[in-house]
Amino acid sequence: MSKIKSLFDSRSFKSAFIPYFTLGDPNYNDSIEFGKTILDNGADILELGIPFSDPVADGPVIQRAVARSLKNPFSFEEIFRVTKAIHDHKPETPLVYLTYFNPIYHCGISKFLDRAKESGIVGLVIPDLPFDTEESEILFQELKVRDMDLIHLVTPASEKKRIQALSKTSSGFIYYVTSFGVTGERREFSVDLKERIKFLKDTIQLPICAGFGISTPEQSNQISQYADGIIIGSAIQRIIEENGSDRTKAVLALADYISKIRASIS
Amino acid sequence: MGKNLPGYFGEFGGRYSPEILTEALEELESTYQKLKKSKKFKKELEYYLKNYVGRPSPLTYAERLTKLWGGARIWLKREDLNHTGAHKINNAIGQALIARFMGKKRIIAETGAGQHGLATATVGAMFGMETIIYMGAVDVERQNLNAKKIEMLGAKILPVTAGEATLKEATSEAMRDWALNVSTTHYIVGSAIGPHPFPTIVRDFQSFIGTEARAEFKKRNHKLPNAIVACVGGGSNSIGMFHAFLKDKQVAIYGAEAGGLGSKPGEHSATLTYGKTGFLHGTKTLIIQDEFGQIVPAHSVSAGLDYPGVGPEHAHLSQTGRVDYRMVTDEQALDSFLEVTRVEGIIPALETAHAFHVARDVAKDLGKKKDLIICLSGRGDKDVTEVLRLLGERSK
Repeated sequence: MSKIKSLFDSRSFKSAFIPYFTLGDPNYNDSIEFGKTILDNGADILELGIPFSDPVADGPVIQRAVARSLKNPFSFEEIFRVTKAIHDHKPETPLVYLTYFNPIYHCGISKFLDRAKESGIVGLVIPDLPFDTEESEILFQELKVRDMDLIHLVTPASEKKRIQALSKTSSGFIYYVTSFGVTGERREFSVDLKERIKFLKDTIQLPICAGFGISTPEQSNQISQYADGIIIGSAIQRIIEENGSDRTKAVLALADYISKIRASIS
Repeated sequence: MGKNLPGYFGEFGGRYSPEILTEALEELESTYQKLKKSKKFKKELEYYLKNYVGRPSPLTYAERLTKLWGGARIWLKREDLNHTGAHKINNAIGQALIARFMGKKRIIAETGAGQHGLATATVGAMFGMETIIYMGAVDVERQNLNAKKIEMLGAKILPVTAGEATLKEATSEAMRDWALNVSTTHYIVGSAIGPHPFPTIVRDFQSFIGTEARAEFKKRNHKLPNAIVACVGGGSNSIGMFHAFLKDKQVAIYGAEAGGLGSKPGEHSATLTYGKTGFLHGTKTLIIQDEFGQIVPAHSVSAGLDYPGVGPEHAHLSQTGRVDYRMVTDEQALDSFLEVTRVEGIIPALETAHAFHVARDVAKDLGKKKDLIICLSGRGDKDVTEVLRLLGERSK
């Protein structure tokens, strides 16, 4: 059984908290500290972003984070080293990678997955790899033999037929994109968000976690009433952006924010 | 979707874009399939191409270049004579008609040299659609005349400052806008790139170039040309030119890509020479990237060729060897720009100047009594300031 499935099967929370941040922003060693802080303050699953030069599904905050990260010399060795350090700090918390497909393809799917698994990664989210591609099918099979998950995105525009088709090569949880557009904080969500998540729960037998645009404890609390998980990226990245030059300050701000969100959905 | 399904050219192509765009791409695909068979749509498109764009564009025999180069007879397919001064308008009109059919009142586009932005702003004005153009801040600067024209036509330019602030970043930003406004907006992709069905749609709307050139040449000379040449950035004018000739095995086909300043990463846009298979802007194609799959910034003297990817059909044609793609440096392109201007009285776009450089070599190799058609993809008024600046630097 995958680590993510067992987490949701034996859940001790109302809604899982799934924070995200980009590795290497502002540098790889600080990422280790940020990861540890986030784990200590209440992440149920942690999404680690592997920077890619052209993040088309991301809004300005994460784009800037990626640009800052890529100012450091990029290497998979660094990515895996940092991942392992974060994993070793709290091995029971599942870690997943969020990245675009090109770096994985370039590294070589098998090689990438072997190294990712060794570093403590249990699943992947790839915004530009739709499930109905040959590469996605290959990736799903490769992940399955390693007991790892392929987490697909579903959007407000996804039709029932597509969601049903997607369930065959999807595992872990569904990343439900709450609104149109790219990642980034938003004040309001679509009026039918609750109905849409209920529809997804009736259509696909996986936990439904909501992301894109969520930033405040109030929003998290509200959405946790009907979603199995809350994914937050840009708001966390903004804290790193604003405080990143001072590691201690950034760690304190992250701890405060993460614990508030965790409390809002418990 | 798999390799044998529509949208792939050999192993290249497909649809690798964020899920939020999938429904819109499927709607676009089914609408286009329907319209392609519609006589009314065909008639409407032909009406605008004839009465607004000025098609068919002529095939000019370039007597002085022929003499100067001393080889094959040179013919020019005059896309520079289209309204707005380049081939980009063919595709902009076609896609605007699709957008109108789908009930989308807002159109967006990315642009490098500004020709596609200008074409989109023009059809936006003509059809009364809200038009947004994403253009790299660097390109707004070096293609200022086009940027000004776009604004004069009532479109809004949103300069993109991320990364290298050129075509790649403008394309990413246009995709983000589309993801946010997908229900009201059509993204008029300007080159034969992007997720399926864009490479096919753009190719089809540009294939008038090759179809007309082939028919006119045959009518006037009672045979086919021996070779054709076009420049390749994303590759829309070239795929439009090549497509009608692909099955004519006796016609040699050449593509000219931007060799820029040199062979090091970051110095060129020579995707077909140095690129490796990868995934960018929704398609699987050849891309200039580093050892970790990060996209390397491209460079070219011509903003329209300054892109680290290439249309997937070109990647396929390169792999199969049907088209011979050659690199042309910034310096060589500049020399050809000046030569064509002075010898033929035609100021070509800097993009097209790359094709002229390859054509000169090909014409010499072919020898006399052979025929070569160059796709003169656009006029170079937009490049005059930049060329003068470069000439100033050269004389220092």
